[in-house]
Amino acid sequence: MAARVLVLASILIFSCFAETCYGVISFSSLQRTLVVTASHRQGLLKAGEDKITVRWGLNQSFPAGTDSSYKTIKVQLCYAPISQVDRAWRKTEDHLNKDKTCQFKIVKKPYTNVNETLEWTIERDVPTATFFIRAYALDSDDHEVAYGQNTDAEKKTNLFEIQAITGRHVSLDIASVCFSAFSVVSLMGFFFMEKRKARKSQQ
Amino acid sequence: MDRRGPSIQHGVASVSGAVFARIAMGTACDLFGPRLASASLILLTAPAVYFTSIASSPISFLLVRFFTGFSLATFVSAQFWMSSMFSGPVVGTANGVAAGWGNLGGGATQLIMPLVFSLIRDIGAVKFTAWRIAFFIPALFQTLSAFAILIFGQDLPDGNYQRLQNSGNKQKDKFSRVFYHGITNYRGWILALTYGYCFGVELTVDNIIAEYFYDRFNLKLHTAGIIAASFGLANLVSRPAGGVLSDMMAKRFGMRGRLWALWAVQTLGGVFCIILGQVGSLTASIVVMIVFSVFVQAACGLTFGVVPFVSRRSLGVISGMTGGGGNVGAVLTQLIFFKGSKYSKETGITLMGIMIVCCTLPIFLIYFPQWGGMFCGPSLEKIATEEDYYLSEWSSKEQGKGLHQASLKFADNSRSERGRRVHSQTLSSNATPSANV
Repeated sequence: MAARVLVLASILIFSCFAETCYGVISFSSLQRTLVVTASHRQGLLKAGEDKITVRWGLNQSFPAGTDSSYKTIKVQLCYAPISQVDRAWRKTEDHLNKDKTCQFKIVKKPYTNVNETLEWTIERDVPTATFFIRAYALDSDDHEVAYGQNTDAEKKTNLFEIQAITGRHVSLDIASVCFSAFSVVSLMGFFFMEKRKARKSQQ
Repeated sequence: MDRRGPSIQHGVASVSGAVFARIAMGTACDLFGPRLASASLILLTAPAVYFTSIASSPISFLLVRFFTGFSLATFVSAQFWMSSMFSGPVVGTANGVAAGWGNLGGGATQLIMPLVFSLIRDIGAVKFTAWRIAFFIPALFQTLSAFAILIFGQDLPDGNYQRLQNSGNKQKDKFSRVFYHGITNYRGWILALTYGYCFGVELTVDNIIAEYFYDRFNLKLHTAGIIAASFGLANLVSRPAGGVLSDMMAKRFGMRGRLWALWAVQTLGGVFCIILGQVGSLTASIVVMIVFSVFVQAACGLTFGVVPFVSRRSLGVISGMTGGGGNVGAVLTQLIFFKGSKYSKETGITLMGIMIVCCTLPIFLIYFPQWGGMFCGPSLEKIATEEDYYLSEWSSKEQGKGLHQASLKFADNSRSERGRRVHSQTLSSNATPSANV
């Protein structure tokens, strides 16, 4: 009786462990089976204005059937190492749950066997930094099973810089100047009124 | 985030600006009254806060931050104002509440502003615009509080400086005399040093404690930030408590009680700082930090229970010197112990605690002839009274012109600083003649 309970308990415990093992995916375990390229105009790209043309597809040198488990493709904008220095909130971790490299979603759509192209306008909330593009292939459980990126393994080539919007608007500028002027002028006004009251009370 | 901390030039620049602003504000209060001085400063620095909304280069950020920093000198005018409107027996409480809740505001904004920012962003603005809009809130508060001061405030219980000066009840004072009597009073310098090691330490800890918890105990940055905020939020009760304690000690033991309480509480703060650097567990660290924060903030409140009595003519300059000392202490402490990687953070905290204990010792040297000091009673050599002390700031020529009346009145009011036993003795001896009639 005790032995059966022990066996049952250990099966339960081991299955729990198996569950957690399955949930934690590390980047180093993924295969680079996707080919991703990104093209854009020369120079510093502007958030909210410029477009990047992203192309992705399966690397044909892999055997057919490699992509049998790929159900969804997720293309993301990722920080290059130079933009991660001294910024712990952008750190690269091997465990994908903790990884903060790729924080901006470009597109997430069902996976098709053919090469796809997308022209993406850079979102207005992208900060000023250096980026590259990575695509993850997800299976039916939404877990990453493969990836591809437009740069090399050291993340040194094909990087591009994006300049964030300033966030300033003409209306804000005008409001700032008006309120500032109002503050200073009202101070003068108070002084003037005080002097007038003092003169009146003396008379 | 830049872990290296302030550079020497940055530190010197920021502290000189801060010290200058506080002494200038103190002098302005002595000459023009706290109502006009503080309202002017607040309205003149409000543009810096409005312009923060449109800053977009490193230089512009530095400039708006620099000019916004000047507005912090309103601390001096607030303490001056409390010292003018509230009498001796309650001045510690008044100063403690005003300063404590002011410091609390700094901690509260750290919690409120991110919420305001999120709200604006969720309404629809991009985050780069949302923070700019969010800055209008503190800027508007600044403008409106200045209006409130001008409309509802008055300098003294009797009225405003200008009206009193015009009617002849108060004389307009000279800058050179006010300044001279402030900086030649050694008690002001001692209090500046000791305030550097209670408020200066408070500022330093505000800056380093989040990083300390994040690095040493591997907390999330957000959690570390909340723990750090609780250090500042303790100001809700701890600084007022220091002021209340100062007044309670004064009621029983007079000025000597205020000095003993200040020394004891600040030294205990130093001891708990040493302990904070030594403990290794998270729970113990949080508990010790809270105890440490209560003592250090109470010491700030106790300091401004003593400051109102150091000088009457140059109350503003003394307040400004003490306030400036706080900033010098903060920058000095950060530069010595928390710059670079010479000391680990915990060693730095322990050493800071030792320095607190050492720099609190000069309170032993503070001596009022009419009330005594920590170890000596009031002077018996000459007839040392409150009038002698406060009128020593006025030359006989100035007294001839009647410029010293306000100081005379204050000297009379400050007799409560003799403590209960002596005070009741003098009262009964004063009452006897009339009973005989």
